[in-house]
Amino acid sequence: MPHHLSRRGLLRGITAATAVTALASSLAACGGDSDAATTTDAAGTVTVGRLSNGAARQTALKVSEVKAISARLPESVRSRGTLVIGVGALPDGFPPLAYVGSDQKTLTGAEPDLARLVAAVLGLRPELKNSTWENMFVGIDSGKVDVAFANITDTEERKRKYDFASYRKDDVGFEVLKKSTWNFDGDYRNLAGRTVAVDNGTNQEKILLEWQAKLKQEGKKLTVKHYASKNSTYLALTGGKIDAYFAANPGVAYHVTQTARSPRPTRSAGTYSGAGASLQGLIAATAKKDSGLAEPIADAINHLIDNGQYAKWLAAWNLTTEAVEKSEVNPPGLPLDNS
Amino acid sequence: MTTTEKTPTTPTSPAALEVHGVHKWYGTHHVLDGIDLSVRPGEVTVVLGPSGSGKSTLLRVINHLEKPELGHVSVGGEPIGVRRHGARLRELSERAILRQRGRIGFVFQNFNLFPHLTVLDNVAAAPVATGKLTRDEARELARELLTRVGLGDRTGAYPRQLSGGQQQRVAIARALALRPGIILFDEPTSALDPELVGEVLAVIKDLATSGTTLVIVTHEIGFAREVADRVVFIDGGRIVEQGPPAQVLDHPRHERTRDFLAKVL
Amino acid sequence: MSQPPGAAVSLAEAPPAGTTSRPPAAQRVLPLRRPGRWIATAAVLVVVAQIIHGLATNPFYQWDRFRYWFLRPTILDGLLITLEVAALSAVLGLLGGVLLALGRLSGSPVLRAVSWTYTWLFRSVPLIVVLIFLYNFSALYQTLSLGVPFGPAFVTFDESRLATDMAVAVVGLSLNEAAYASEVVRGGILSVDQGQHEAAAALGLPKGYQFRRIVLPQALRSITPNYVNQLIGLIKGTSLVFYVSLLDLFGSVQTMGSTYPGDIVPLLLVATVWYLILTSAVSVVQFYVERYFARGATRTLPPTPLQKARTGLAEARARLRREAAV
Repeated sequence: MPHHLSRRGLLRGITAATAVTALASSLAACGGDSDAATTTDAAGTVTVGRLSNGAARQTALKVSEVKAISARLPESVRSRGTLVIGVGALPDGFPPLAYVGSDQKTLTGAEPDLARLVAAVLGLRPELKNSTWENMFVGIDSGKVDVAFANITDTEERKRKYDFASYRKDDVGFEVLKKSTWNFDGDYRNLAGRTVAVDNGTNQEKILLEWQAKLKQEGKKLTVKHYASKNSTYLALTGGKIDAYFAANPGVAYHVTQTARSPRPTRSAGTYSGAGASLQGLIAATAKKDSGLAEPIADAINHLIDNGQYAKWLAAWNLTTEAVEKSEVNPPGLPLDNS
Repeated sequence: MTTTEKTPTTPTSPAALEVHGVHKWYGTHHVLDGIDLSVRPGEVTVVLGPSGSGKSTLLRVINHLEKPELGHVSVGGEPIGVRRHGARLRELSERAILRQRGRIGFVFQNFNLFPHLTVLDNVAAAPVATGKLTRDEARELARELLTRVGLGDRTGAYPRQLSGGQQQRVAIARALALRPGIILFDEPTSALDPELVGEVLAVIKDLATSGTTLVIVTHEIGFAREVADRVVFIDGGRIVEQGPPAQVLDHPRHERTRDFLAKVL
Repeated sequence: MSQPPGAAVSLAEAPPAGTTSRPPAAQRVLPLRRPGRWIATAAVLVVVAQIIHGLATNPFYQWDRFRYWFLRPTILDGLLITLEVAALSAVLGLLGGVLLALGRLSGSPVLRAVSWTYTWLFRSVPLIVVLIFLYNFSALYQTLSLGVPFGPAFVTFDESRLATDMAVAVVGLSLNEAAYASEVVRGGILSVDQGQHEAAAALGLPKGYQFRRIVLPQALRSITPNYVNQLIGLIKGTSLVFYVSLLDLFGSVQTMGSTYPGDIVPLLLVATVWYLILTSAVSVVQFYVERYFARGATRTLPPTPLQKARTGLAEARARLRREAAV
């Protein structure tokens, strides 16, 4: 297909090339500062839901250091005064949880916001570090990153290397083209004969595969597809290659609002509890095993839950349905044979 | 010019070129089998021999493009590629050898001009690169030399825009630019169309009369008769016979020389 | 052949005697008609027109969003990273490639073996792996990091974050590029006639001068087209630098695609058009570089497009005049 574009593209490009040559010199100073998402909040305040591109309501929350909790931090982190927060949202983010905001350069989302709230309770300056998903984990291993807040599911397999402090449940949902007439209606039997995409290694994948097995027993077929990235999954959806995308519901909700004005708008076709029939998937802050960070972070989250900032944070991002009652250190995760 | 007009060298002045017992093998092939040769300053030596006799190899050994396995070569009394260390000879550094080559001009059968440089730069390159002349001096000299070989009007051309004869004349000017004490010609007219041979031979003849020491490998017997002070006949890696052209070409003493001349003439 | 040519023609064609009004030598030859070619041309033109029309009118491409994104600062930032990383890696990679090629051609068996091994290794290891390893260098070699004598490039390794990401990307791509460039350069050097080496040696030109002024300029003639191929691959290869947390053109497009999922298609088109522009620019430079190194290699230089247009016009004019005269 690209060679069909060449004529039109080239004409357009040549006129623009002149403009760019002029622009390039002035841009030289400001390349690639996307991971420097510092806020200009006054002391004792953390603003959540900034630059959300319509996914959240910007809300200022009062938070201040709790000495009793920060005293339990490892000495090395406390004396450094910063909390290096890993976010694995490169190259494509996962809105509304972690993504580049509407100024098209600042890293924003529900996960970095909670991380900043936690840092405030611990009396640390938050420093966000965006990388690929893999590098985020290697960063924790190497000590470049203290803790990751990036929609990481607590699993028994990951527990071998990491400590967890849980903070959120997740709802999952189906996204279909707006013109589609299909609905999930809470019944897996409606999936018979459909082609559904799901992300690798996720809670929802586990659920979907279970349904696929059940349908097979009933002599019906459900085709499950995996794509390399979210962008290619959405291209497959708008191109009609798949009937539905089964994904974390906040992402589905964001995507539906965003495509409303595009030529192939989508809609939600029903949600399902991420807990599933037998599983309780939990999203957790992830630190290196035995780093001593998981406990003070869990305490900080519990402090935010007790004092209401947690609920306001979830409300700002329309995630209230995913609230947990308390943060736990290394709660039971997805068993080994599931991950 | 005749040979009798040449000034005989006094025994004290060093020979322009001396080849001492040179042996060279390519694998098991014995290309040079003990060559001894002495050339006086200003002498014009023509080397004849059937193809594969080792005459080109001899030239390449003289300027050390090929290393002899045994023996050595001296130019103007200085050993080439080696230095005396007590009673033994030691190999010189590559750098020192390159410096020595400045005193030995070499003209190739296939010209080997640098195609990406103009005619002028081909001639001017070596004196500048070896630090003998400044750029301007070298270009001035190059212009002079090109005029001398009859190409004063083609200085801006690239080699491939010239005829073979013209290219070979540029190659001669290039060899002259370093003001060498001796110039070696390796079949300078073999790659040329017959009608272009004359112009190159004329230039070489001009050099011969001006008293430059020349060693010429060629198949042009007539030319040898005309310019040579001495003709050396090589076969099978050995010097079969040598002497004034009148003797070697007209009254060869050896059977092999007679055979060769019969085929070539 | 004792017969005049005219007689032979009249025998073959056997025209009635006396009807030829002109001697055959002066007659203009009518060019062969090629109706098949005309039909094919027309058909292709129709298809091309359809494709262009489809591109322009199909709402799927969202050309209004394309216009919005094309010159966005975030896209231009990414483009700048692409250009910076590609340019630095191209230069460093070529330098490394020249050194490796010289190593391969050197007389020392150790240098030959090291160069060969380097080339073999870096042509085998995926670029992604090189980038990930370099990015996490401190994690992999935590205890060794001070003791390894790795030259000045690694001294800056942990200083500033931004410099580090850029440095890691450039080092990674250069390491990879040098392996491929070394083979391109080696091929170029081997393509130079042996007589050139001999002539340079016979003139006593210093070694460095021989390489820089005699061998390399001639080798560059065959190096250029091959290296430009490499370069275009490199420009697209920069899209992997998100592995070191650097967002190039394609990385910016991917990031924006997840924040603005309705614009994925126009964003991909934006990246495509920018890559087209970059490749075209490189091709233009290639033409003139090749023309420069062709000096002396051909009797006349290939004409520039402007010269070609001019001579084409002159020729057409001359032909018209000729045909009008006949």
